[in-house]
Amino acid sequence: MIPSDPSKVTAICFDRIHLPGQATLEVARKNGAYSYLPTVLNEMNREQIIEQVKISGLRGRGGAGFPTGLKWSFVPRNTGKPTYLLCNADEGEPGTFKDRDIMRFDPHLLIEGMIMAGFALGVHDAYIYIRGEFLHEANVMNAAIKEAYAANLLGEHILGTDFSMHLTVHRGAGAYVCGEETALIESLEGRPGRPRFKPPFPAVEGFYRCPTVVNNVETLATIPAILEHGGQWHKQIGVPNSAGMKIFSVSGHVNKPGNYEVPMGMPLRVLVEEYCGGLQHGDVPKAVIPGGSSTPWLGPEHYDVPLAYDEIHKAGSMLGSGAVIIMDETADVVALTRRLSHFYAHESCGQCTPCREGTGWLERVMLRLEAGGCNARDIEVLQDASEHMAGRTICALADGAAAPILSLLRMFPDEVNSYLAENKA
Amino acid sequence: MSMQVDTTQMEKVSFNAEQLEEIRELVARYPHPRSALLPVLHLAQQHFGYLPMNVQQLVADTLDVNLMQVREVVTFYTMFREQPTGKYLLEVCTNAGCMLNGACELLEHMCRTLGIRVGETTPDGLFTVTEVECAGACGGAPVVQVNNVYHEKVTAEHMDQLIADARAQEDGGVA
Amino acid sequence: MTTLYIDDKEVTVPANTSILEACRMHGVDVPYFCYHPELKVAANCRMCLVEVEGWPKPAASCCTPVAEDMRVRTQTETLKKDRKMVMEYLLIHHPLDCPVCDQGGDCKLQDYSVEHGASQGRYVEPKRRTEDKNLGPFITTCMTRCIHCTRCVRFAEEVAGTGDMGVLNRGDHMRIDSIVEDTLRSELAGNLAELCPVGALLDKPSNDVSRPWELERHHSTCIQCPHGCDVIIESRGDEVIRIKHDPEGAEAWICDRGRYVYDAFRSDDRLLVPAVRKQGELLACDWNEALTRARELLKDKKVGIIFSPSWSLEGLTSIRLLHDAVMNEAKVAFDLHRRDMRPFAFEEGLSMSTAEIEAADEVVILGSDLRQRLPILMQRLRRRVANGKALTRIGAMNYRTNTSPGKDALIRPRDWPAVIARAMEQLKDVGKGSPAMEAWLERVPARHEAGKLLADALMAERCAVLVGEEIRAHEDAAALIHGIDLLMRSAGHGEAGDDGRNLIPEGMNAQVLSAVFGDIRTGVGELLQAAEAGELDALMLVGSDPLGDGLFSMQARRVLRQVPLVQVGAIGGQIAEFADVQLPAAAYSEIEGTFVNMEGRVRIADKPLRSIGEERPLWKVMMRLTQELGADDVPAVSLDELRQKAAVFMPELADVFAGKKGAEWRMPTARNRNARCLPSGVEPAMALDIVSRFSMYREGAWARASGLLREAGQLFALPDVLVHPHTLRQLGLEEGECVIRTASGEITHHVGTREDVAEGVLFVAKRGGAGDLSTETSASLRGV
Ligand SMILES: Cc1cc2nc3c(=O)[nH]c(=O)nc-3n(C[C@H](O)[C@H](O)[C@H](O)COP(=O)(O)O)c2cc1C
Ligand code: SF4
Ligand code: FES
Repeated sequence: MIPSDPSKVTAICFDRIHLPGQATLEVARKNGAYSYLPTVLNEMNREQIIEQVKISGLRGRGGAGFPTGLKWSFVPRNTGKPTYLLCNADEGEPGTFKDRDIMRFDPHLLIEGMIMAGFALGVHDAYIYIRGEFLHEANVMNAAIKEAYAANLLGEHILGTDFSMHLTVHRGAGAYVCGEETALIESLEGRPGRPRFKPPFPAVEGFYRCPTVVNNVETLATIPAILEHGGQWHKQIGVPNSAGMKIFSVSGHVNKPGNYEVPMGMPLRVLVEEYCGGLQHGDVPKAVIPGGSSTPWLGPEHYDVPLAYDEIHKAGSMLGSGAVIIMDETADVVALTRRLSHFYAHESCGQCTPCREGTGWLERVMLRLEAGGCNARDIEVLQDASEHMAGRTICALADGAAAPILSLLRMFPDEVNSYLAENKA
Repeated sequence: MSMQVDTTQMEKVSFNAEQLEEIRELVARYPHPRSALLPVLHLAQQHFGYLPMNVQQLVADTLDVNLMQVREVVTFYTMFREQPTGKYLLEVCTNAGCMLNGACELLEHMCRTLGIRVGETTPDGLFTVTEVECAGACGGAPVVQVNNVYHEKVTAEHMDQLIADARAQEDGGVA
Repeated sequence: MTTLYIDDKEVTVPANTSILEACRMHGVDVPYFCYHPELKVAANCRMCLVEVEGWPKPAASCCTPVAEDMRVRTQTETLKKDRKMVMEYLLIHHPLDCPVCDQGGDCKLQDYSVEHGASQGRYVEPKRRTEDKNLGPFITTCMTRCIHCTRCVRFAEEVAGTGDMGVLNRGDHMRIDSIVEDTLRSELAGNLAELCPVGALLDKPSNDVSRPWELERHHSTCIQCPHGCDVIIESRGDEVIRIKHDPEGAEAWICDRGRYVYDAFRSDDRLLVPAVRKQGELLACDWNEALTRARELLKDKKVGIIFSPSWSLEGLTSIRLLHDAVMNEAKVAFDLHRRDMRPFAFEEGLSMSTAEIEAADEVVILGSDLRQRLPILMQRLRRRVANGKALTRIGAMNYRTNTSPGKDALIRPRDWPAVIARAMEQLKDVGKGSPAMEAWLERVPARHEAGKLLADALMAERCAVLVGEEIRAHEDAAALIHGIDLLMRSAGHGEAGDDGRNLIPEGMNAQVLSAVFGDIRTGVGELLQAAEAGELDALMLVGSDPLGDGLFSMQARRVLRQVPLVQVGAIGGQIAEFADVQLPAAAYSEIEGTFVNMEGRVRIADKPLRSIGEERPLWKVMMRLTQELGADDVPAVSLDELRQKAAVFMPELADVFAGKKGAEWRMPTARNRNARCLPSGVEPAMALDIVSRFSMYREGAWARASGLLREAGQLFALPDVLVHPHTLRQLGLEEGECVIRTASGEITHHVGTREDVAEGVLFVAKRGGAGDLSTETSASLRGV
């Protein structure tokens, strides 16, 4: 159903998502699912697939934006150890809710993407690590997997080829940090999700110290389209360095929050006004978090920023997971920051000193700020404690914890000042 | 409370044959049985309602891991509970998306209606209200999970209705 | 090798070294908390940050490998600020109780605060409170001081193997916890206090006793087991306050026995003044009076001497000199665990270093409770298993090692010939037989499948065989060891240097003992038998306690009741009850002297504590006694002279004392190439084999004199008599009181069961009513 002319593409992951019954194999197949899979399994080899993914310009949709084909090419061959494929369906980044829709409405798209990725990587066992709260989604995935096994799309000798792959849904149990790929691996090994330091990288030593690829749901769900239409086709969608479509999860003060899959490079304003029904109050947002709560905030001056990796980076933030949180003029930015500080303090795995102690400290100071008990020296603490945890820890959670505070202090000094004890009085 | 435990003083519990079969199947899917720890804890919590120490010991014995390893996991993940909850567990997301769309007011309303504070259970043992982190459904903010079922764009009226229905059903059940 | 630049200095280190280790190797000081050279890297404290040119963010140096031409900076302004912030983060919940903290003066947090910290913290919110833990008799906790470096958790997992410590919760609620009420189930627990960089885990026995800066430190050698670990004895004045691991020593840890035995140094059991028995009572006296009495008992008499192997080389040599000068008819014995005195093909001692054993392709433990016997070697083997290397164990009990050796077989001592025979058959099958083997095999009709494990392991290029007490105590030990030697030779394990033959000795100085006493030694059993038969007029026990240790307690008790006794030693213990004269000898902390451990490593202790009473170094006591017993000349009047005499027995020692051998030199173990003992073919008289248990908390007079070790022993105790449940069931018996019959009579005793004892084995503790069972090798059981 996806047009072969890239300029006409309106959806990749969400192409068939709203078709009734799409979660069942029968309907999904009628709508074209798995139709190109035999060609991939019979006519392509591992190198060709990885090459096409490289050409496509696909970058990881989980947050870090790492080129997917390149990641796959790092996996060593002939190590004598199995290679694992893990789908990151932890979707914990505040503001992100896109993977959930793929899984509950079009589970077979993800399965198909994983079969293709697994084939390209020589995988025999693959897992979907889904956040524990997504019980319904896990059930839908499991039902779809069961159907896929019955149809010989999973299991031994898939579609009569030499390729065999097993797929298991593994539920997390409530820990945002498990979305970080090495924490995810720890968790999948039955341990607390505490990230591992790198190197070694998972591609070399991941799940049970074997070569492992971790990819986001959306990333994997894009693979079937890329292989069917070619890497070149995908590369032409979007803008340079940000190829393809991207699902943006828009929430906050917009009239029609929700998931929108649009070509990369679309200006933020267009997304908000043409797709999301505009702001609840006022004409321009007070602040925008463009890529999930861990990314620095943008101000109204960036309302026209193209939604693409480089452009958002230039504006001072990150595309992240594509979770756009909009704050209009009614937003209490101090309260929101305090709430996000609570989130990071609650979710820190606790191993790195700056993150463990810093996140708790920041939350306590933010609570006091909101209650009017802070003075200028406390603002200095907020600044120092944030700056010296970002980039100094094992994983990027600490950077995420610093982002809202640093954004608040940078963008809203007056508002912050008005909360200080001397000004409150 | 000291977390150290005298394992010899605990009441013994066990899995039934069907559950053991399910656990065997789970274990078979991973390169190492330890990977089945989270799934088996989910299963145990489903069955026993929560995860007191004797259940954790059971899980440790079943998967042949150290009790400490189970304790580490149970206390790390928020969905695993060492204390029982009310029959209805109401989990309100108050993170960014939901907060910007009235989740805090909703939470306050629920607490007032039920006469409890966040984290508490009503005296009749029916409702527990907790505040949770982003549920991954911000498009439907505010989001409340009722016994792990998502309810989106929830209003105070919805919650009142839900609470009333649950109470009615409970009364009916008694009568 | 990789070349990089640290603060502009060019350095070359092995590839894959971490930046932190590269810095340490080259004397560049990078602060850290969580890193520990013996533990896996955790990289969680973030104190060790450095900057690498071209990298956007600072890197944790402990977990970042070096790379060619990398330019590392350790002292930039940013890093200073980062370290200051890490200190501030760490201190926000840390109590400021340094004045009352035992770690004070020896605390990384304190040191780094001065070096890297801010003068004042900015944290004003409430501090975290944390519950303290009960971690058993040796470790006390103050968990609010914990900085979450997880060293202790990694230690419990990787070193102790118990895994009973862990990290609960997350974020700043995260806390270190232990699972088991009351105790950390490890024989290495004491290391935790040294491991903890702050004052969260502290040494319980020495807590609140002293402050680090009041203490004098003495490098010494622990004599509590043949391992002879390097230790530091800390004292205040003459009083031993505690014993610690020597960071410059060969091993990374010491065991609780070696650490907590210090408590015995000041116990009531110490012999501190000479004494003689008058009207049945031991009364303190002066040296002259005691020596006079000793002369009356010993001069021109038929004497038996049993000494402990753990005296210094000089002390041991002085016993030989006494013997040669004035008692050359005396019977001399020292090994309380050896029944068979025929020469062994390879005598006591290890032919390999513990590091070589850890690294070998295969390791086989034959009949040893290694965790109790040699805890530090066991720790290395545990690490070996954790690293995926093979470990094979054959023995009478699945001794709780806190690791799972891949290949494990439970056998009865009477099965040893069949085990070895089975291994020989396997070697024959691959064309590695020999006529000597045939001769051996001819005497053993039975085969035991456990032999396959042994033969398999022997096929490896480098195989370390550890022969333990179950074989050394065997009535047919010489034949078994000959059999093992034949196997090793056939499998291509030569007979030179580190040839894989390792016979775990009774105590320290094994190599010295063979050299110095090889020609005059006799068995303890024979000696006691002679005494019982009235062939001896007097007995001299030099540090040896045959009542408490070894396999001869029953005979020893009979002999001590009938033969006059001269006791020489540092601990009186239960032997004191029988002594007619006591001559106090200095403890190992109080002497200058040379010690040789089981690997043949030579250590010279030269900074002793002063004596606390009238005790004198053993060699002085022996020389005084020699004089008293009528020698014209005193054979040696100084340590130097003693060393020269020792070098007569062991010429290499001359080089050691002259400093011509490096610190790495190891004294080789003795070989008896012509020892060709064949199996006796004699079956034990009764159905069950007795195996006597070794407990590190009870074995040895020193350990028994330590209240701390006694306490730990009670905590870790198993029932006195254990059998496999099947064995009881087959006899129609149940756990409980049973009649145990041996060649020397019957006793009624509680019999407990454990699955990890071999079927057909009666596993007995050397204490209480069951203690004397150790004397026998077989028994039968029946109901009361
Ligand atoms: C704290 C933290 C949380 C993360 N959470 C998620 C997540 O929920 N889902 C996800 O796909 N990636 C998440 N990531 C990113 C993953 O580490 C990883 O980069 C990603 O799964 C790789 O897949 P991709 O290359 O397909 O994006 C998270 C990273 C961090 C540091
Ligand atoms: S940065 Fe925070 S969440 Fe990430 S590993 Fe460190 S402590 Fe854990
Ligand atoms: S020593 Fe490197 S992070 Fe602790």
